[in-house]
Amino acid sequence: MEFHWSAEDSEFREELLRFMAEHLPDDWEEISKGGPGSDDQATFSREFCALLADRGWLTQSWPKEFGGKDASPWRHAILGEEMWAAGEPRGPQYMNVNWIGPTIMEYGSEEQKALHLPLISRGDVLWCQGFSEPEAGSDLVALRTLAIRDGDFYVVNGSKIWTSYVNHAQYCFLLVRTDPESKRHRGISILLVPMDLPGIEVREIPSVVGDRYFHEVFFSDVRVPVGCRLGPEHEGWNVVAYSLQYERVGAARYARAARMLDALAQYADECGLLDDPTTLEKLGEARAACEASRVLTYRVIDLRAHGSPPTADTNVARVAGTLAERAVADLAMEIYGRDGLEYGSFADSHFRLAMTAGVAVGTTEVNLNLVAGRFLGLPRDS
Amino acid sequence: MNFELDDDQIAILDAVGGLLDRHAGAARAIELAAKAEYDHALEAALCDAGFLGVALADETGSLEAALITESVARAGGVVAVAAAALIAPGLTGKNLPGPIAVARVDPSRPNRSAPIRFAGHARTLLVLDGEHARIVTLETGDAEPTASNYGYPMARLSRAAMERGDDLPVGSGARLARWWRLAIAVEAVGAMGAALDTTVEFVKNRRQFGRAIGSFQAVQHRLAECAVLVEGSRWLAYEAAYADSEQAGVGKDGVCEERAATAAAHATAAAGRVFAETHQLTGAMGFTREHDLHVWSMRLQALRVELDGVSGQRRAVALARWGRSH
Repeated sequence: MEFHWSAEDSEFREELLRFMAEHLPDDWEEISKGGPGSDDQATFSREFCALLADRGWLTQSWPKEFGGKDASPWRHAILGEEMWAAGEPRGPQYMNVNWIGPTIMEYGSEEQKALHLPLISRGDVLWCQGFSEPEAGSDLVALRTLAIRDGDFYVVNGSKIWTSYVNHAQYCFLLVRTDPESKRHRGISILLVPMDLPGIEVREIPSVVGDRYFHEVFFSDVRVPVGCRLGPEHEGWNVVAYSLQYERVGAARYARAARMLDALAQYADECGLLDDPTTLEKLGEARAACEASRVLTYRVIDLRAHGSPPTADTNVARVAGTLAERAVADLAMEIYGRDGLEYGSFADSHFRLAMTAGVAVGTTEVNLNLVAGRFLGLPRDS
Repeated sequence: MNFELDDDQIAILDAVGGLLDRHAGAARAIELAAKAEYDHALEAALCDAGFLGVALADETGSLEAALITESVARAGGVVAVAAAALIAPGLTGKNLPGPIAVARVDPSRPNRSAPIRFAGHARTLLVLDGEHARIVTLETGDAEPTASNYGYPMARLSRAAMERGDDLPVGSGARLARWWRLAIAVEAVGAMGAALDTTVEFVKNRRQFGRAIGSFQAVQHRLAECAVLVEGSRWLAYEAAYADSEQAGVGKDGVCEERAATAAAHATAAAGRVFAETHQLTGAMGFTREHDLHVWSMRLQALRVELDGVSGQRRAVALARWGRSH
């Protein structure tokens, strides 16, 4: 075991920080308050990701054959940490490099790889994720959106819900049922759907999380070319499972929480609260939660670096991440008090981003099920 | 970064595991606890095999000492292994004669201390007294054994004994506190791991309502949440124990103040949760001396209250990270 960064990795982090100091605009803090899916941030992401791509950083951990540099997963983790800590200037494009690209590399046709991977590694494309449906949330395999084969096309009908980043997306990573008679895991396929096809309608679902955060996406007789199917027909569930392993710890949300906590401690200091034992105690508790989330995420990255198949360590890390984010958000509200109630204030912005942590990317309960079954070996039913 | 054990670490863990299979375990801990005895035979075996000296050996260091300490805690060993393998070498740069107890001067107690783990059997006492640490050779009559159900032999020490001996230089107090926090974290991780394992086995086998109780989601989620806390504590403790001179934040004293406090804060808080859940889920059986759980669970309480307890560990995290001197 070695818990230190190599000189090259440390150098990369420093270079990255210098780059960010130079290229993030003066009003970045204000822009970043809206979260990765806000209009400003999504728009800025095209400019910023292109700069990252120019330096070869955006997809450096991808294989050389797909435009990467074969850099270790640690390099990508450092990038993710610094991006999230700064409020994610990659906007929604973090999803592209974290899991959409790798899933296309693993399961995509030559045409799909040739089309999508260069777009992603240039930093010039926005995706959304069509997983949840009104009747298929945590129980994702209950999905009902149908894609019926008609010659060289699938005709898609149904709807997706809670979709983020959709208002700017050019493509949707869409889960559909291609076999209408099928149940559960069988009969599911994945379509990489251009969002400009006729028959796709997007409606915002107003929420307390923020503007343009959730959307519903309706598909009415949308004709999607068969060539857009990712992986085998009816056997798409394995592809989903593969992508989820990358997705669940893709966003370094602990890094954002830790940065917010540092800012919160500074504010507490300015208010004279660092002499108060109770405040110190709560700050220390939240810091420990952030650090636990960090080391557990590192554990997952380390397994990946060693070429290990996915394990339930991913779910352990995800649960810890949610605990960390909540600890910091709750404390931010407590320390700021009523000032935190103003929309867009420091505490409010962080609180709203954190409130989805236990629900987004698979609920805490689903993750705990997987920890119980796969990590602890507890029986399903016996 | 590399989270995998290297070949040498695997060999050390195999060797200490074999030794613990022969000399330690829950049955041995229960037998010794009934007589409030110390496991001098286990300490001698660990010492003879070189396991207490790895922190200062050429090819190994404090991480290996932490791995050994965790293994001994997992095996319920009734020995002051953390003080011998981690704290004393960290504080003084050498191994001291064992058994070793660790105590802090509490100005509000002018006559005798609160119960201290291993103090009734210790030859050497490490004292934390404000900015200073002291090394005291204990004498007959210094300690007054205390009856306790909390998994370790305990005794109160006279104030006179705690004030004997020469102060180490200013700063030695903080140094002792750092290594002590790390030791608490590592011991808690070992005890929590064993408590959780034994509870998982219990709920897999215990059947009620026609099924294993471990198949109920209400049971599974609570144990899964414990696993998240224990795993987080474990990696934080290893990271804190990894003292690399080139690593940012690690002073020449080897262990980083913030990391040691963070590991201790997370582990002692987790210990409270693990205690509550493991006892809840093992029902009345878990309270008996017939079942092994108490060997580890009761120790978790002792570890939780050491050195100002969970709240003290958390304040130490905040002060190390954001305190005025930084």
